Amino acid sequence: MITWWCVSQEEPWTWSWTPYPGVWIASLVPLFAYLAAHRRAGRPFESKRVWAFVAGVVAFWAASGWPIGPLGAGYLASAHMLQFLLYTLVAAPLLLIGTPRWMGERIFARMRLSKLSFKRGKSLVAAAAVYNVGLLLSHAPITVEALRGYQLGSFFMDMVWMLMGFLLWLPVLSPVTEMRTEAPLGKVAYLLATTMLVAIIPASYLTFSEVPIYSIYELAPRIGSITAGQDQQMAGLIMKIGTVPIIWGTAAVIWFRWASEEARADSRR
Amino acid sequence: MPRRLLLVIVALSLVGGACSGPTSGELTGIVYDEPVAKPSFTLTDLDGEPYDFVAETDGKLTLLFFGYTSCPDICPVHLAQIAEVFDQQPRIAREAEVVFVTVDPERDTPDVMRAWLDRFDSRFVGLTGTVEELDAAQEAAGLALAIREDGGEDYLVGHASQVLAFAPDGLGYSVYPFGTLQSDWLNDLPILVGLTTS
Repeated sequence: MITWWCVSQEEPWTWSWTPYPGVWIASLVPLFAYLAAHRRAGRPFESKRVWAFVAGVVAFWAASGWPIGPLGAGYLASAHMLQFLLYTLVAAPLLLIGTPRWMGERIFARMRLSKLSFKRGKSLVAAAAVYNVGLLLSHAPITVEALRGYQLGSFFMDMVWMLMGFLLWLPVLSPVTEMRTEAPLGKVAYLLATTMLVAIIPASYLTFSEVPIYSIYELAPRIGSITAGQDQQMAGLIMKIGTVPIIWGTAAVIWFRWASEEARADSRR
Repeated sequence: MPRRLLLVIVALSLVGGACSGPTSGELTGIVYDEPVAKPSFTLTDLDGEPYDFVAETDGKLTLLFFGYTSCPDICPVHLAQIAEVFDQQPRIAREAEVVFVTVDPERDTPDVMRAWLDRFDSRFVGLTGTVEELDAAQEAAGLALAIREDGGEDYLVGHASQVLAFAPDGLGYSVYPFGTLQSDWLNDLPILVGLTTS
């Protein structure tokens, strides 16, 4: 059955490609809007930013569409977790990197978020708290089972994950640099603390639970020889260690940039 | 982090835990008003030998399920759930007999059934017979008869979707419809194993 957004289904999984019109629309509209905004504003394309934006759209499309989207919506808890990581740790930061400052200013002004700033510690703590509350709520079995059975619910969950991703990365990658937190060590500490402390709770629960906690995946037709228990353990591991390369990689880049800037400043003195 | 916020996060994390996990106490399956006797029927096992259900399963925890190997959803999920629970509870698995009776004898040859059951657990017993024998077995178990649906070569078979559980005392106390979770099985199987005649 063709649906506009990926939703859990009782039919056995098949490896035949299935289009999801909503996913294509949600991917292409921002891309065309991005290109049209450049043309309307008479701004030149910055190739690095354009590629980052396109990569972000592709990551969003990959997380939402076939096969990861339908697998995550109704067959595998591990695909559900992979989707979450793709939205929050790949698509969202790439879209922010790809957004030029002038466009960011316009978007924030239109959303009345121009005064949003993550310079102070309090706002960083608030961003981390909202992200983690969203993480816990959106992975609670009651939420997953309530939302993944309906197209609108499934769409809502994916959009919430995208918003969580933007919120997570705005203090570090906002196109409006004044919005970002300034201290490099603050950025590193923020990213590590936000993505790795609270996430241990659900990740450990998934990995070490005696029984599957999501009935939607437990009762789904099995794919290959993966048992519901193995799938859930994999989901826990993805949540636990999937963040490591991206978050630690980003932290390392921030750290080394800061270190080399310091070294340059010292040599000038 | 403000204390109130920390409390919210801890509470939310517990939401996940509170919704699942094995419980203990009463049976979670659909419990009969009065325990029922084991159905009496004799079919053919996958080695071609007669299998007297009552005699072969005497004194054992027995899970009886009618299905077919081409079933797209209910049958493989039921058997996968039971197999996974058995992996976790080998003691119960040793004391239990899972009997899978085909309702599609035309396609479910002994070889096909053995290969399919082995995907879940090689200890699972497969039974077949003539259409009349299989109908009689379903009737004896108090189930609606399976119906072959239209659909050419890849036809579906409508069949009862519940697993019938019989304790070692030979009585059935509960049935398990599709949707039974591993936590339900983990709760109920030890209770049923304990219901012996001694």
